[in-house]
Amino acid sequence: MFSLIYGLWRYIFSKTEFHVLILGIDKAGKTTLLEKLKGLYLNLEGIPPDRIVPTVGLNIGRIEVGNAKLVFWDLGGQPGLRSIWEKYYEEAHAVIYVVDANCPSRFEDSKSVLEKVLRHQDLHSAPLLILANKQDLPGAVSDEELARYLDLKKLDERVYMFEAVSAYDGRGIKESIGWLVEEMERSKRTEMLRRRTPAP
Amino acid sequence: MGLLFSRLFSSLFGNKEARILVLGLDNAGKTTILYRLQMGEVVSTIPTIGFNVETVQYNNIKFQVWDLGGQTSIRPYWRCYFPNTQAIIYVVDSSDTDRLAIAKEEFHAILEEEELKGAVVLIFANKQDLPGALDDAAVTESLELHKIKNRQWAIFKTSATKGEGLFEGLDWLSNTLKSGGG
Repeated sequence: MFSLIYGLWRYIFSKTEFHVLILGIDKAGKTTLLEKLKGLYLNLEGIPPDRIVPTVGLNIGRIEVGNAKLVFWDLGGQPGLRSIWEKYYEEAHAVIYVVDANCPSRFEDSKSVLEKVLRHQDLHSAPLLILANKQDLPGAVSDEELARYLDLKKLDERVYMFEAVSAYDGRGIKESIGWLVEEMERSKRTEMLRRRTPAP
Repeated sequence: MGLLFSRLFSSLFGNKEARILVLGLDNAGKTTILYRLQMGEVVSTIPTIGFNVETVQYNNIKFQVWDLGGQTSIRPYWRCYFPNTQAIIYVVDSSDTDRLAIAKEEFHAILEEEELKGAVVLIFANKQDLPGALDDAAVTESLELHKIKNRQWAIFKTSATKGEGLFEGLDWLSNTLKSGGG
């Protein structure tokens, strides 16, 4: 009896765990973002930006926002390493797509890579947060401008948002994550993933 | 290189005993890597339990090396070396494509070990100097590294004989452990 009640109690009060993929082409600032997230939410001193090396694998960060537990998967963005991204799609609740807003010469590259990501069936209905990163630099374009540059089609069915952030100084990040958590909590996809992995 | 390495790892673990396992199939280049790092004398021991473990003690960090694969009867004894392991360095002979499938199986089997659940994983795609060596993306694919979803991992192309790539890998390792990785 006790275990039954305890189980129920745990079921009601356990925090939902969300898997969030951090994607984007190389040098977009994905790992810097991850380290900033650790700093902002865990008061943990992440790796300083100048010590961050290109990711050739998987970095993980775990934070808690309100009642939600977030697990971030930061994957390397160099061309040869992008092929493993899709292996993580199936279990992801949402995607953060990071763009270097200070580097217009690579917007086209960013766009085509993102379009490929969004075409993948395994990411169906996953909320998408597109970050116009590096706002600390004077030449960075705003989130609206980036949205115009990327000119994404067929996004109508997907919940998405553009945000201007700086993974370097942290601006815009908490608001973005707040939005993402809210969207994931009411997302059809979350419901779908929950049904597939029954509560322990 | 030895000096840089010492700077990286000193004070990383405080005074706590730490362990880093260097694993891989035989002939992957594990011992050569240890020698390359010039951390001290590599001591080879063949304990009575019957498998060969090489140890380098570096301040309070023990690097321990043995071959995976082969005889299954001695495997339970591997567990003696699992407690307090912060990291696993998995070394692969990238040119030995015939045995990559075995390397993959052994690798995932070791990751299943309860006492190694918290360890971060660094993969050395070694022997890049040899013709026909697979690059990091191909080794990633062959080892099915994407199956690792609950701990940090990274892969580096290395040539132990030339001393290439090792330092970059260890730099990643020390950064990751410092930022509370895993």
